[in-house]
Amino acid sequence: MLFRLAIRNISRNRRRSVMTAALVAMGALALLLFGAFTTYIFAGLETGLVQRGGHLAVYRSGYFLFGPGNPAAYGIDDYQTVMRDIGDDPALKSMINVMTPTQAVVGIAGNFSATTSASKTFFGIGLVGAAREQMRRWDEYGAGRPFAPDDRLSDPNASRGVIGRGVARMLGLCGPLHVPDCPVPEARPDPAGTAPPLDPALADLAHNEAGAQSATSTAPQVQLLSATANGAPNIVSLDVAGVDTQSVKELDDNYVAMPLALAQQLVYGRGEHKVTGIVLQLHRTEDVPAARARLVSLIAERHLPLEVRDYRELNPFFVQVVGLFSLIFLFLALIMIVIVLFAVVNTMTMNVLERTAEIGTVRAMGVRRASIRRLFLAEGGVLGALGATLGVVLAFIAIALVNHAGFQWTPPGNTDPVPFQLAWPTRPLLLLGTWLGLVLVATLATLPPANRAARSRIVDALRHV
Amino acid sequence: MSETATSPVVRLEHIARAYHTGLVSIPAVRDISLEIEPRVFSVIVGPSGSGKTTLLNMIGCIDVPDSGRVEIRGEDVLRLSDNALADFRARTIGYVFQSFNLIPVLSAFENVEYPLLLLNVPVAERRRRTTAMLESVGLGAQAKQRPNELSGGQKQRVAIARALIKEPALVLADEPTANLDSATGTSIIALMRRMQEEFHTSFIFCTHDPRLMAEADQTFSIRDGVLV
Repeated sequence: MLFRLAIRNISRNRRRSVMTAALVAMGALALLLFGAFTTYIFAGLETGLVQRGGHLAVYRSGYFLFGPGNPAAYGIDDYQTVMRDIGDDPALKSMINVMTPTQAVVGIAGNFSATTSASKTFFGIGLVGAAREQMRRWDEYGAGRPFAPDDRLSDPNASRGVIGRGVARMLGLCGPLHVPDCPVPEARPDPAGTAPPLDPALADLAHNEAGAQSATSTAPQVQLLSATANGAPNIVSLDVAGVDTQSVKELDDNYVAMPLALAQQLVYGRGEHKVTGIVLQLHRTEDVPAARARLVSLIAERHLPLEVRDYRELNPFFVQVVGLFSLIFLFLALIMIVIVLFAVVNTMTMNVLERTAEIGTVRAMGVRRASIRRLFLAEGGVLGALGATLGVVLAFIAIALVNHAGFQWTPPGNTDPVPFQLAWPTRPLLLLGTWLGLVLVATLATLPPANRAARSRIVDALRHV
Repeated sequence: MSETATSPVVRLEHIARAYHTGLVSIPAVRDISLEIEPRVFSVIVGPSGSGKTTLLNMIGCIDVPDSGRVEIRGEDVLRLSDNALADFRARTIGYVFQSFNLIPVLSAFENVEYPLLLLNVPVAERRRRTTAMLESVGLGAQAKQRPNELSGGQKQRVAIARALIKEPALVLADEPTANLDSATGTSIIALMRRMQEEFHTSFIFCTHDPRLMAEADQTFSIRDGVLV
């Protein structure tokens, strides 16, 4: 009876109720559309990060904080055994999609061809091409770019790799690599380019390495110079198969990717070949806490000097983006709450005023004050529920229209435009949270007028015209 | 204290009520004591502003005297809490208002059924009693109609049915014929008389209507807040 009465009461002044419900619906629509947008952004960013770096990485203890400056000192001993232990663990086995070793390298890259002599510092990564390709297929949320095969790192024995667009530009490789919109450096009095001048003996070594390799390869080459784990200088040649543009300029200006074996040869020379990281890509992101806990436990059981980091720790930018968008969502939600609050308070105050005599009548008949309060709260709740439900329906229609419109945009962290899509707001926290939140706000907004109605004196209410 | 067959349904002892406007106090009822016998047709008569509605409101437990004692069916109602008083009104007192005061969003049937909902009467019994009551006041065919689809006389019949559906000890009516034409007013008076006899309920009216006065078993005249 309570809700039947509430529904009939809000239909008394249809125009007013429709306007109020429409405001609630607009609130729900705005929140759900923005929620759908942020969900898609988060999914897109996460997909890109997980495709590149996996969900979890196992490092030698201390590598995360101190290792990137001297990766050779933080190699994981007998990494094949560690990988076998992880791969054989029954709990981890079912969760892991890809497990692959990586080797970080820092050093100087040089182009000492017949026409150019330039060098610069680089930050490189050695990886297993086939595993990288498998990782690039990961798309749990359907938010990734369409998969395009890339075999430039697929041969584990070749000396073939890719470099950042900035590295290509500074080493004068844009022409040989046919990179569009890539300016050629102006002739400078200092031929050493952006890197410190090489020791004459090392420069000779680099030139000799360049001369030796150019006889067997047609691809442009760079010479990579680094210090081995025991401090001796070492140099390898890399056939540059192409450019892999990075979204952050500093990274793009330093990025070199090469086969794992080449990176190991550069860093460890003839010594034991180690790796700086074991990357794990899981089937599902929600397994990260469980997989991490199991890894930590496994490492402790084996007394290994290793640590585990997840993709959020490795990519603080992602956490910052999530925080920023969450804050904007919260701000938007607060604005919507205030709008809905005022609209419902106004409507329900008018309703109470118009029905004062009726309130007196039912109170005289024996209705308790609390029942009067409940009736008006129910009316506010029904109004909120109608508006929020309408908003949910409109949001789903709007998302369907946007997703079929074929818009494109370049999200943060991307270098190329991607389809502009909105995620379906089916996360319970977003969908139910928005719906219930607005119903709750509409109900609570009714409290002041409902209290006013409940507190009125019967004889005064009956006299009200 | 419980009611017996002969004990008064209403007993007022030295009740007084004044309205306060700023520093000015206007007495509406002054030191009135009276007793109303059960199962009678009583009227309170007096000129406008004499205090008869204030007196009726205090008998109906919707207004509180500044002093004195109000007993309804032996219950000292001024001692009851707000909720207990609401429950007491729901069980014991029916109201018929001058302007009918039906709930506009409810049908005639639902308006009459409403007091039984407050008493948690089971749904089947509620429907049976409501149907019978509407038939009794001659509105069986109008059960589904809302108040705005009824004439003034029909509305007042619904109001009477609503007041009597719970078989209260007391029905209070403030000028129940004032908004009706002469013929309708006469039929409403006849209906109330018949219902009072049928349900053995005490009716108390405030009225100027000489036809109602003529029907009274007990008459109280009030002038300037005192019984005369």
